[in-house]
Amino acid sequence: MEPRSHLHRVLSEGHFAVTAEIGPPKSADGEVVRKKARLIKGYVDAANITDCQTAIVRMSSIASAVLVMAEGVEPVIQMTCRDRNRIGIQADLLGAAALGVKNLLCITGDHQKFGNHPEAKGVFDLDSIQLLDMVRRMRDEGKFMCGEDLTGARPEFFLGAAANPFADPFEFRVKRLAKKIAAGAEFIQTQIVYNVERFRKFMEMARDMGLTEKAYILAGITPPKSFGMARYMKYFVPGLDVPDEILKRMKEAKDKREEGINLAVEIIQQVREIPGVAGVHIMAIEWEEAVPEIVKRAGLHPRPLEAEVRPAVVVEVEKPVERVEVVAPPAEEVPEEAPPKVEIPVEAVKEVFSTVRSSIESLREGVNLLHDSLARLERALLGGEVVPAEVPEVPRVEVKVEERPPVEEKPVEVKEVPEEKEKEVVEEKKVEEEKPAEEVEARVEEKPAVEEKPPVEEKPEEKPAVEVREEKPAEKPPVEEKPAPPAEGVEIGSFSGEYRPLSERAAGLPEDLYKEPGTAFIREVEIGKGEKAFKVGGTNVLPFHLFEGEMRHEPRVAMEILDVKPENWPESLARYFADVLDDPAAWARKCVETYGAEALCIYLMGTDPNYLNLDAQHAREVVEKVAGAVDVPLIVWGSGHAEKDVEVLREVAEVVGDRGAVIGPVEEANHRTLGATAMGYGLPVVASSPIDVNLAKQLNILLENVGVALDKILMDPSIGALGYGLEYTYSVMERIRLAALYAQDDKLQVPFICNVGREVWKAKEAGLPSDETMGDQEVRGVLMEAITSVALALAGGDLFIMRHPKAIELTKLIIKELMQQN
Amino acid sequence: MIVAERKPIRRVLEAIEPYQRVLVLGCRGCVAICSAGGDREVETMAAALRLARKRAGRPLETGEATLIRQCDPEYLAPLREWADKYEAVVSMACGVGVNLIADLFPEIRVYPGVDTTFYGANTALGEWQEKCRGCGDCILDLTGGLCPIARCAKNLLNGPCGGSQGGRCEIRPEVPCVWHQIYERLSARGELDRLMNFFPAKDWRPAGHGGPRDRIREDLKMDK
Repeated sequence: MEPRSHLHRVLSEGHFAVTAEIGPPKSADGEVVRKKARLIKGYVDAANITDCQTAIVRMSSIASAVLVMAEGVEPVIQMTCRDRNRIGIQADLLGAAALGVKNLLCITGDHQKFGNHPEAKGVFDLDSIQLLDMVRRMRDEGKFMCGEDLTGARPEFFLGAAANPFADPFEFRVKRLAKKIAAGAEFIQTQIVYNVERFRKFMEMARDMGLTEKAYILAGITPPKSFGMARYMKYFVPGLDVPDEILKRMKEAKDKREEGINLAVEIIQQVREIPGVAGVHIMAIEWEEAVPEIVKRAGLHPRPLEAEVRPAVVVEVEKPVERVEVVAPPAEEVPEEAPPKVEIPVEAVKEVFSTVRSSIESLREGVNLLHDSLARLERALLGGEVVPAEVPEVPRVEVKVEERPPVEEKPVEVKEVPEEKEKEVVEEKKVEEEKPAEEVEARVEEKPAVEEKPPVEEKPEEKPAVEVREEKPAEKPPVEEKPAPPAEGVEIGSFSGEYRPLSERAAGLPEDLYKEPGTAFIREVEIGKGEKAFKVGGTNVLPFHLFEGEMRHEPRVAMEILDVKPENWPESLARYFADVLDDPAAWARKCVETYGAEALCIYLMGTDPNYLNLDAQHAREVVEKVAGAVDVPLIVWGSGHAEKDVEVLREVAEVVGDRGAVIGPVEEANHRTLGATAMGYGLPVVASSPIDVNLAKQLNILLENVGVALDKILMDPSIGALGYGLEYTYSVMERIRLAALYAQDDKLQVPFICNVGREVWKAKEAGLPSDETMGDQEVRGVLMEAITSVALALAGGDLFIMRHPKAIELTKLIIKELMQQN
Repeated sequence: MIVAERKPIRRVLEAIEPYQRVLVLGCRGCVAICSAGGDREVETMAAALRLARKRAGRPLETGEATLIRQCDPEYLAPLREWADKYEAVVSMACGVGVNLIADLFPEIRVYPGVDTTFYGANTALGEWQEKCRGCGDCILDLTGGLCPIARCAKNLLNGPCGGSQGGRCEIRPEVPCVWHQIYERLSARGELDRLMNFFPAKDWRPAGHGGPRDRIREDLKMDK
């Protein structure tokens, strides 16, 4: 068979072929291509011209090929499947053949994502193998892809394909090569070989399949120009295998370029020894000057055969210094003439310029990449509406030496940035799906079986030790006490994840689109007096909407103690107070000193006429004792019996008068008398109403009418525990808060107090024993209490009365985190 | 399901700029399942639009409704009545719903409230992935059930390409190379030789490149 091209002839005659790559410019300057061709002329059998490699727009491969031919160098054009469909490809290939192009490399092409037009619609009508098959049939069968006859001259291409021995899955790579050869590939250009061992293995497999008999395999060779480039290729070019040894050599080399050339030469010599390797394809990226040196040192110069290039068209370009006027057919002798024409000083100067240019170009690519990723980031944040990123003019030194993506040291760093940013964008999107990024981990130590009781028995032994010494009054730090009770049971985890402010997540949206603060503030009510006093209320936004307004005070928790020993507290709760349950003063101290209570609520349960019916004197004594034992603010909560409470709370008010305490509950039935009492002593009251917006409002109005100022009122909406009407409470509280903040309902601009502990711990579920279905009793109770409180905090709750130390700890932890989000 | 994504509010605001009364119309089909256009999202969208317009000093009245589906004329029937009450409809259904409303009710100004993105699966909470491209000529029988049209960035039919490394796609490292997956799947089944077969170029007409597609089943037609 007559060789289809010069390259084909070199190969078919058994010579070790050399081709090199020419990257066309990103401009219409044909001289760039011609210069590159002149540089390598005589050192290669053909020049391979990329087709918008890495999806960056450049002068077309076919047009460049014509210019290369004009310099007397035989081109190999590339055709990718990315930019043209089968119609465009066939048309262009007919044209290329008509222009005298003889070699064609069929590839799928780099995805547009990697280029400078990532927004482009990738065509990919065909893949590289289908492309090969199509061209082979045009040539051999004279058929277009559709089956119609191609009458007249056929495109007589010497067909090539690419193969990557270093991509995965490795075992399939040779098989895919076989597919390409079966589809029509006659020569193969491999990915850059640095890992010669792996390549050798690949070749061995190729030989075993008889592929080296069917196609000429050219090993891809690239001299690393710098350590940065080698590193970049190792880490950022998919499908490229750069052994550490190469990196090391480049790193340690004094003269990086010299070392790069050495490496290329060594690899050429090594691959040349591998049976079946028919030649090398040198891709000296933005460093075409290196090609002659490499070819010479590898002993591949001079080339065995003279290229006979017959361009179908004559390209004439008026040239300043060097003469270029290649007449179509008789171009043979030009090669000998041309080199001497170039004067040595010119070469040297060229070298310098080209180096400078390529550095500048690399920098520019880096800058472009930055702009690109900035635009992507912006797009992701703005949801598709991108203010066109204005690309500042990078100093436009006329840059003509073209290359691949950044390969200099600096651009390598730059390249990393966009990748990271992209990841960020992805993460951001995820975060936006669900608002808070945090999650609370309430870790629970599973007790496998009931047998696991031993630790419980141990505890009583330890505890007395602590507890007997309970005489030590007020100071002991919680060092030894803390671990004692909760030795097993509930362990509270912490928040994970990182909060990203809404302003950041909503970047690009006008603030007034998502911000809507209330038109008024909830009153601030002072709880207690003196040093330990604190305020609740003082917010003009829905709970924790810190992005749009203010919560001057965080929600607080008061720990509940009883005036009499509780009878029906589940063990999981009672055990924390086992030693103090019958002594309110000691109980109060334990709450404050051991569990860090910032306020206490004394529930005068014993005074309930339907229970023990203890008298006001009892209440007075209890409150007196407690008030003497601790200095935190107090809430005194009566039995809830309207009449009895009047009597009892009057007595109590007298005791706490100076010290201050919140008293309640005040209901419609007793608001006059209790209101008067509270006013008389200047105490805030708890205004209790049965879960209803209007009733709550009415009670506030009534209290105001008798003279109780709104900033002395805490609203108790009567809450339901988790599973016992929590959602109803939530809804009522939410509506009250919305009316207060957004509907100018000033009678409702009062903080909420939620008596959570009592409701939760009387629920049946809080007391059921541990079992498989219901899980651990204590964990269950703690979570019920904490969930109730947190849910109500989200509805607007300002002050919570709670019982279980662990539930309080968990609730406070969550509130603290929610408050930090600013 | 058909996966969609809420349109940037600003775009929707621009679309309904001239109107005072707008119906936000959700769909309980795919877009509800993928949390883009169901009842909840309708509520959010309506609230966001009102808020934005209130801020702009041009309060907006919104109606909110969610239909069983918007891709079926019978479910769209109520629109005929509602249409008088509103000047425009923001459909939170996929593009099919918007089109069908536009087809059936030429007098109604309908605007999209979502961007219809792909046919996907809900692979994890809050995560959807494209699995099919509706190319009209299914080849999943040959590829171990994994679609290279939808899941390969270059729609390769004779993959994997040279950018496949460690089972990952070069486009984005978090994306698995579907051809690598196909290879492993068939390899495990001892059907690797399937991959040695040349996969001819695809006829893209059924994929929509032959113009809008339709499907007719004579036996189901009423006017037989």
